[in-house]
Amino acid sequence: MALALLNSVRRMIGALFNQPGYVAAQKMLDATVLRHHAIASNIANVETPNYKRLDVDANFGMQLNRALDGGHTDAMRSLKPSLVVDTNATAANRDGNTVKLEQELLQMNQNQLTHTLETQLITGSLLKLRLAITGRPS
Amino acid sequence: MISFIPAVNSSAAALDAERTRLEVISQNIANANTTRGVDGKAYQRQQVVFESVLRQAGGNLAVPELRVSNIVKDQRPPRLVFNPGHPDADEQGMVAMPNVNIHEEMADMIVASRAFEANLAVIKNARQLAMQALSIGKR
Repeated sequence: MALALLNSVRRMIGALFNQPGYVAAQKMLDATVLRHHAIASNIANVETPNYKRLDVDANFGMQLNRALDGGHTDAMRSLKPSLVVDTNATAANRDGNTVKLEQELLQMNQNQLTHTLETQLITGSLLKLRLAITGRPS
Repeated sequence: MISFIPAVNSSAAALDAERTRLEVISQNIANANTTRGVDGKAYQRQQVVFESVLRQAGGNLAVPELRVSNIVKDQRPPRLVFNPGHPDADEQGMVAMPNVNIHEEMADMIVASRAFEANLAVIKNARQLAMQALSIGKR
């Protein structure tokens, strides 16, 4: 009896954090931190001959979108962003390096905004949960 | 967990490499008129060679990190100046001056310090990302 109650409570708590929007925001946050890794590496290697710029795999966003459309949180959880060489970037001069410093700094700022948005989304859903539990805006 | 402050290691390695480059440039400028180096000949301009090495950044994530692979001597011939009164002059009165070009060094210095600044900006940005992540759940 007590065990059954405990299990159902556990399932309820699990369901609280299993909303598609929340899981998607988590995964997007993962991708944003990974993109920061890529940008940091690109800027660090701005003058390394033959360095090719890295970026987050574009497939990740499409797969996440598809899973979000279907509302499959399990599919979303199994997704993992990865870094790939950006094949669209072209070298500006003969050293074969495909990094453009201004572009990277712009992307870094854009990435920071995205990060703010995602943390705010997660905070928002946590605050809503707290409101639902306590019945008062914290 | 990837790391607390994202990508700060690769930026720190790049700062280190750029600082080495600035040190080499300052050495070149300081020795721009040294006609008798440690080997007894005119000072030869030095330059750093960068390379990127893959570093595991936690988990199965590997990011290319900047490293100074070597500091090499510039093999261009010394600049010959006619100055017969100089103690290092040869029989024709020519003095071998270092193959350092001040303008080239100044341009390199600007590039190096800008690259340094860009990496610092990345570290500042990483810190802000970490602060934001820490304030998840607070209003």
